[in-house]
Amino acid sequence: MNLHRFFAEQAFQKAQPQLDSRRDFLKKASTATLAALAAGAPRSWAADAAMREIAPTADRVIVLWMAGGMAHTETFDPKRYTPYRDGLSSNEVLSTFPSIPTAVDGVHFSEGLENLASVMDRGTLIRGMQASDLGFILHSRHQFNWHTGYVPPQTVAAPHIGAWIARTRGAADPAMPAFINIGQRFNLGEGEELKAFTTAGFLGSEHGPFNVAFPEDAADAVRPPEGMSAGRFTNREKLYRQLLAESPIGEGGSDYQKESLLRAMDNAHRLLNSPSAKAFDLSLEPEANTRKYYPAFKPGTRFEAPRDRMGGKYEEGMIGRFGLGCLLARRLCESGARFIEVTTEYIPFFNWDTHENGHSRLVGMKRMIDAPIAQLVRDLEERGLLDRTLVVVASEFSRDMMVEGKPDNRITNQVEVPDVINDPKFYGMHRHFTAAGSVLLFGGGVKKGYVHGVTADERPCKTIKDPVKITDLHASIYRAMGIPPDHGYDIERRPFYVTPDGHGKSVDALFRG
Amino acid sequence: MCSFFRAFWCRAAVPLLVTVLPVFAKDYLPLTLEQQALLPDPVAYTVDFVRDIQPIFEESCTQCHAHGKSKGVFSLETRDDFIYGGDNGTAAEVGRSAESLVVAMISGLKPDIIMPEKGKELTREQVAIVRAWIDQGMVWPDEINFFEIERSNLHPVELEDIAVPDDFANPIDGFVNDTFATQSYTWATPVDDRTFARRVWLDTIGLLPPPEALADFLADDAADKRVRLVQELLGNQQAYAEHWLTFWNDLLRNDYQGVGYIDGGRKPITDWLYSALANNMPYDEFVAELVDPGMAAEGFTKGISWRGAVNASMLPPMQAAQGVAHVFLGVNLKCASCHDSFIDDYTLADSYGLASVYAEGPLEIAECDEPTGDMSRVKFLYEEIGGLDTTANREMRRRQLAEIITGRKNGRLPRTIVNRFWHRFFGRGLVEPIDEMDRPAWSPELMDWLAEDLVAHDFDLKHTLEKILTSRAYQLPVSLTGEAEDYVFRGPEVRRLSAEQFSDAIRSVAALPYPRNTSKVNRHAALTGGLAEELPLRPKWIWTTADAAQGAKPENVTFKRVFNFQKAVDEAIVTIAADNGFTLSVNDKRVASVSKRSNTGVFVKDVGKHLQMGQNEFTIVGTNFYPDGTPIRLRPGQTELPPTPPETYNSAGMLLYARIRAADQVHDMVSDQNWTVQQAKAEPRAAVEMGGVDLAPWRIGEHFLELAAAPVDRLPVERASLVAADPLMVAMGRPNREQTVTVRQEEATTLQALELTNGETLARLLKDASDQILEDSNVTGDRLVRRLYQYTLSRPPGKTELVLANQLLGSPADSAGVQDLLWALTALPEFQLIY
Repeated sequence: MNLHRFFAEQAFQKAQPQLDSRRDFLKKASTATLAALAAGAPRSWAADAAMREIAPTADRVIVLWMAGGMAHTETFDPKRYTPYRDGLSSNEVLSTFPSIPTAVDGVHFSEGLENLASVMDRGTLIRGMQASDLGFILHSRHQFNWHTGYVPPQTVAAPHIGAWIARTRGAADPAMPAFINIGQRFNLGEGEELKAFTTAGFLGSEHGPFNVAFPEDAADAVRPPEGMSAGRFTNREKLYRQLLAESPIGEGGSDYQKESLLRAMDNAHRLLNSPSAKAFDLSLEPEANTRKYYPAFKPGTRFEAPRDRMGGKYEEGMIGRFGLGCLLARRLCESGARFIEVTTEYIPFFNWDTHENGHSRLVGMKRMIDAPIAQLVRDLEERGLLDRTLVVVASEFSRDMMVEGKPDNRITNQVEVPDVINDPKFYGMHRHFTAAGSVLLFGGGVKKGYVHGVTADERPCKTIKDPVKITDLHASIYRAMGIPPDHGYDIERRPFYVTPDGHGKSVDALFRG
Repeated sequence: MCSFFRAFWCRAAVPLLVTVLPVFAKDYLPLTLEQQALLPDPVAYTVDFVRDIQPIFEESCTQCHAHGKSKGVFSLETRDDFIYGGDNGTAAEVGRSAESLVVAMISGLKPDIIMPEKGKELTREQVAIVRAWIDQGMVWPDEINFFEIERSNLHPVELEDIAVPDDFANPIDGFVNDTFATQSYTWATPVDDRTFARRVWLDTIGLLPPPEALADFLADDAADKRVRLVQELLGNQQAYAEHWLTFWNDLLRNDYQGVGYIDGGRKPITDWLYSALANNMPYDEFVAELVDPGMAAEGFTKGISWRGAVNASMLPPMQAAQGVAHVFLGVNLKCASCHDSFIDDYTLADSYGLASVYAEGPLEIAECDEPTGDMSRVKFLYEEIGGLDTTANREMRRRQLAEIITGRKNGRLPRTIVNRFWHRFFGRGLVEPIDEMDRPAWSPELMDWLAEDLVAHDFDLKHTLEKILTSRAYQLPVSLTGEAEDYVFRGPEVRRLSAEQFSDAIRSVAALPYPRNTSKVNRHAALTGGLAEELPLRPKWIWTTADAAQGAKPENVTFKRVFNFQKAVDEAIVTIAADNGFTLSVNDKRVASVSKRSNTGVFVKDVGKHLQMGQNEFTIVGTNFYPDGTPIRLRPGQTELPPTPPETYNSAGMLLYARIRAADQVHDMVSDQNWTVQQAKAEPRAAVEMGGVDLAPWRIGEHFLELAAAPVDRLPVERASLVAADPLMVAMGRPNREQTVTVRQEEATTLQALELTNGETLARLLKDASDQILEDSNVTGDRLVRRLYQYTLSRPPGKTELVLANQLLGSPADSAGVQDLLWALTALPEFQLIY
C-alpha cells in the first residue's frame, strides 16, 4: 500500500469513529433497534449525552389531528359573531358561531364545543400557533411540516414525530407497536404526499407507523387474516416451526439476516397472541362506554358516506369514526402504546378543509370531535393515565374569510370569496390562515386551565402575544417525552435532529412547575 | 438538511467563513489573570472527542490547519501536532486550559488575535467544551486524524497497464486470489449447482429458477454450463429489463405514483428506461442521455417539486446536481448543497457549480438557505478531468457535462457502476459505503480492471455482469465476514429477496400475473424495436414559427386536419407529444387532454370509435405554458392573460403520428405542413414544420416512432417492477423513491413480519395463487408438496418435510391448505434469503 493510500484510509477512518461493527452493534442492540442494522442506518447522535437529559413529564402522546385547517375563530378562539344574512359583507365576518363559556372563567370556545368547554379546566390552550411560510398553501406540505418539523423536499426521508418518539423512547409494551396511526386512508387525494410524512423515514420501518384506517376494523390488524380460524392460524404457525427445524438452513447456523427475520416473526406472533392485541378490538368495550364517544353507535357500524363536495353532508355521515378512533386510542394507551395519532382524516375539500360551506360543515366537524375528545380526557383522568399522557389537538393551520397566508406575507389566493355574500355556501372561513392557530393540550405535565398567547379581536385575527412556532411546539412535546430538541441520529454520516438543526425551544410556560 | 451546520456552526461563525489562523505573534502572551476570570468554566461532563471536539475542529479549524495546510505553522492533523503548537509554542497543556494559547485565541478575549480570524467568535459553550477537553487530558483517539485526503477511483488507468495475475481464466479471480494470498487464505469450494442456479437466476433476472429449467441445468454435464446459464439469462431481454428496472428506479427516483405528480412537479422516465435496459444501451450513452436528456429522460434531472417555496439546497438544479453526483459519481453532495461539507471536502461552490449546469442562469449561492449575495460559477466537481465553458448556454453546458462525465478522462463513472454491481451481488462493495467512491477499494487492482474492462467493451453492462457472475469469487459459499470490524472478502454475504423478488416469486409459483401495468410502459414497443423503420411516414414537429423549438410565445394554438375514409374505421391510434400540453378533439368531440404542467410525455390513444365514414376533422389545441408552468387560462379575478414579453418565450411544438386501420388497410397520418394552425384572432394558415423526431430540445427520436409502430402492449404483467407498490411491497422494503436509494434496508422488522403474518395483501395473494394452482393442475398430496418445494426452495422436500407439509395441505388439498403451505414455505429464511 502506498503512503498516500494509507493516509487516505486513515483520513476516512477518522470520519466515522462512531461506527460500531454490525456484530458489536448486534450484541448491544435491543430488539427494536435490530432493524437499524442496515448499512447507513441511523445511529444515535446525542442520545447518551448526560448534559442533555431532561426528565419526562409524559410517557405517551396522543395527537388528535384536525386535518385540513381548523379555523381558530370557529373553534377555540371565537371572535365577534355575525349571523348569516343575504348581502353580508365578507370582511365583516370573523366567527359564524356564537361564543360559549368554558370551565375556565374568561375563556370562551365556539358554540358546538360544549363538552370540550367543560374540560378546559384540565387543559392548556395555545392560541398563537404559527404555521410556517411555505410560499403557497398545499395542505399535505404543511402537514408534512407539522408532523416532521421539516419542509419537503428533503434530501433524506424525514421521520414523523411518532417515529422519532418510537425510536427514542421505544415501545412501552414490547408486544405493542410503538407508533400507531388511526383514521387516515392513503388512496384518496394527495395520498402520496401523506405517505411521504406518515413514515419512520430514515429511522427505518421498525419504528412505524402501524396504520389503522378504520377504528372499527382495528381488530383485523392484529388477528388472523380474514377467513382463517384461530385453530387454522395456530396450526399453520406450529407446522411452520416444524418445517423451519427441517429446513437445512433452519434453526441451525447463525447469521444476522436470518436472526433478524426469525426474531421479527416471533415479535409479530407475540403481538397477535398477546393480551395487548385485545386493545385493538372495540367490540370488547362495553357498549355504554362506546356510546360516550359515539352516541349513535350500533355494533357493526361502518363508515361509508358518499363524498359530495357541495352538500356538506359528508362530515355528518362520518360522525362517529373519529370518536371510535379516540376510544381506540384510550384502549391502546392502557395497553402500552407510545405514540398514537387519531385524525379526522385529510381528504381534499372535506372535513376541516372547508373551501365552501364553511359554516354548515363545521357544525358536523364539531359534532365529530367535541364529545369524543372530552370523553377521552375524562376517561384518561379517571384511569389515572392523564397525568402521564400528553394529548395534543392541532391542525396544520387556521382559516380566515379574507387572508391567505399571513396578513403581512400574503400569498396567492386559492379560494374565491365574494365581497358580498348572497349564498350561504360562502359563509365560513375558507382561506388558509397561518398567522394564528389553536392547539389544545391536556395532561402530560401541562398546566390546567391555562391559555397561552393572544390573538387580535379584529381582522386580521393574528397572534399579538406569545406566538408558538411549530418547531417550538415540537420541542415542547419532545420535552414532555424527555427528549431534548437537539437529540438526533446520524444518517449518511450526517446528524439529523428531532427539531430542525436542533434549534427547537420548548415553551416552558406550558408546563407545570 | 443542514442540521450539522446550524447546530454547531452558524451559532459560532458567520457563513462562508474561511478560518485563517494568523501566525502566532512573537510577543503574543496567554490571557492575563483578569482575562482568565472572564472565561467560561469548563463544562462539567466528560468531553468526548468525537462527539464534542471533532465537530468544532472540523467547522472552525481544519480548513486552515489540517489536510496538509498549516497556517501559522500550526497543524492539528494529529494530537501530537496539536500539542506541538505553532510559532509561539505549545497550544495547550493538559489541565491548564485557562493559560493555553488555544483557549486565549478562541475565547475572543484578546481583541488583536481572535480565532477563527475572519469569523464570529466561538460560543461560550464551545469554549467551555474545549477547556474541559484540555483539562481532562486532551483525549484524542489514535485512529483519528485530519490528514490530507486523496481521492480514489477518479482517474482512469490503461487496461494494459494493469497486471492481471496469471492462472485464472477470469481476471476477477486472479485479483481475489492475490488478496487471499496476502491473507494466507485459500479458496473455499464453490457452491453446488442448485445454490448457484438460485443465486444467479435471482441476480440476473430476479426470478426463482422454474423447476423444469433447474432440472435441465442440474442434469447438464457440460463443464461450461454455469457460463452458459449466465449468458442465457442475460440474453433474456424482457426478464433482464424487468428485473433491473427496480434497481434503476431506486437510483433514478422513478416511480409510477408518488409525491409531485399531482402538480406535474415530477415526470416519469419509465418508457425510456425500459427501452434502454431491454436494448442494453451502452452505459456511457445511457448516462449521457440522463445527464443531457431529451424529453423522454428528462424526469431524472427535473427532480421532484412540491408547490410553494423550496429550501435553496433543494431547488430543482440542486437536486439535479445531487442526483448526477450521487448516482453516476458515487459521491454525496447533500451536505455541500447547504454549506461546505464537514465529512468530505466538497464545497458549497462545488454543488452550485454543478447545479448551475442545469439552471437557466447563474444561481445566487445560499448557505443554509440564507442568500450570500455571491453568484455561482459553472464548474465540474473535478476540474482536473474537465472544465465547463462558463459562457455556454444551458443546452451546451449539459452536453459538455455529459461529455466530461462519460469521457475517457473520467475514471469514476465505470468504477461507480461496477462497484454498485459488486455490492448487489456480494452484499458489500469493493468500495464501501458505495456512495463514498472517494474511498479506496479493498482491491484497487480488481476495481481498476473491472472498470477499464467495461470501458474497453464499449460500456456493455451485460459484459461486466457476465464477468462477475461467472467468476469463481461469485460462486464462493456465503460469508459472514461483512459483519466483522475489518472487512475481508470471503465471498457473497447472505442477502434478502427484494420486495419485488418476493412478490414475483409467489406469483410465479401459480403463474399468476399482476392485474395492471401501472408503469404504463409499452414493453412491446421497447422489445420490438425495428418496427419503427417500417412506418411509411416521418412526422415533423410543427408550430407557428420555424424557431418555436428555441422559443415561442405562451399561447394556445389550434391545429386542424381533415381526413376522409371510404370504409368504416376499426382502429385509429394516435401518438402525440406536445410541449407543454394539448387537447385532441375528433369531429368536435373532445377525446383526450394532457394539460399537466411539465408534461412532455408521449400520449397514445385509440380514437377509432369517434371516427365515421366520410369526412373527419382532427383538432388539436396545443398549449405553450408560461415558463413558470402557468397554463394559458384565466384565473379567478383575471380579465386578461398575463403579458407575453420575449423573456416568456419557451420551446413549443407538437408531434403526431396516427395509424388508422379501416377494412384491413392502414392509413398513416403525421403532423406536417398539411395541417393548419390558427392563433387567437388570426386566420388559419399552414402549420410550420420545424424538424423531425430528433429535433432539439426534445430529441425524442426513435422512441416516439417505436410507440407509434407498436402502440399496444398486451404482454402479461408478471413483474412487481411494473406495478405501483402495494402494502406488502412497502413492508418488504420497497422505497417510495422520493430520495435516491442505493441500498435498501434488508433487515426484517416486526411490522414487516406482521404484514407477512396477517396482512391482507399477502393473504389475498396467497389465496389467488392457491386457487390458481388448484385450478391449473389436479395434483395433490405428495406431488403437490414436491412441486411447491421445487418452486419456492428449488429442492425436493425431505421425508419429514413431506409429512409435515401434507398435514398443512390437508387431504384432499383445498385452497386453504395450499395457502397455508405456501405461506409456511415463503416465511422460511431459506426462501427469503439468498445463500
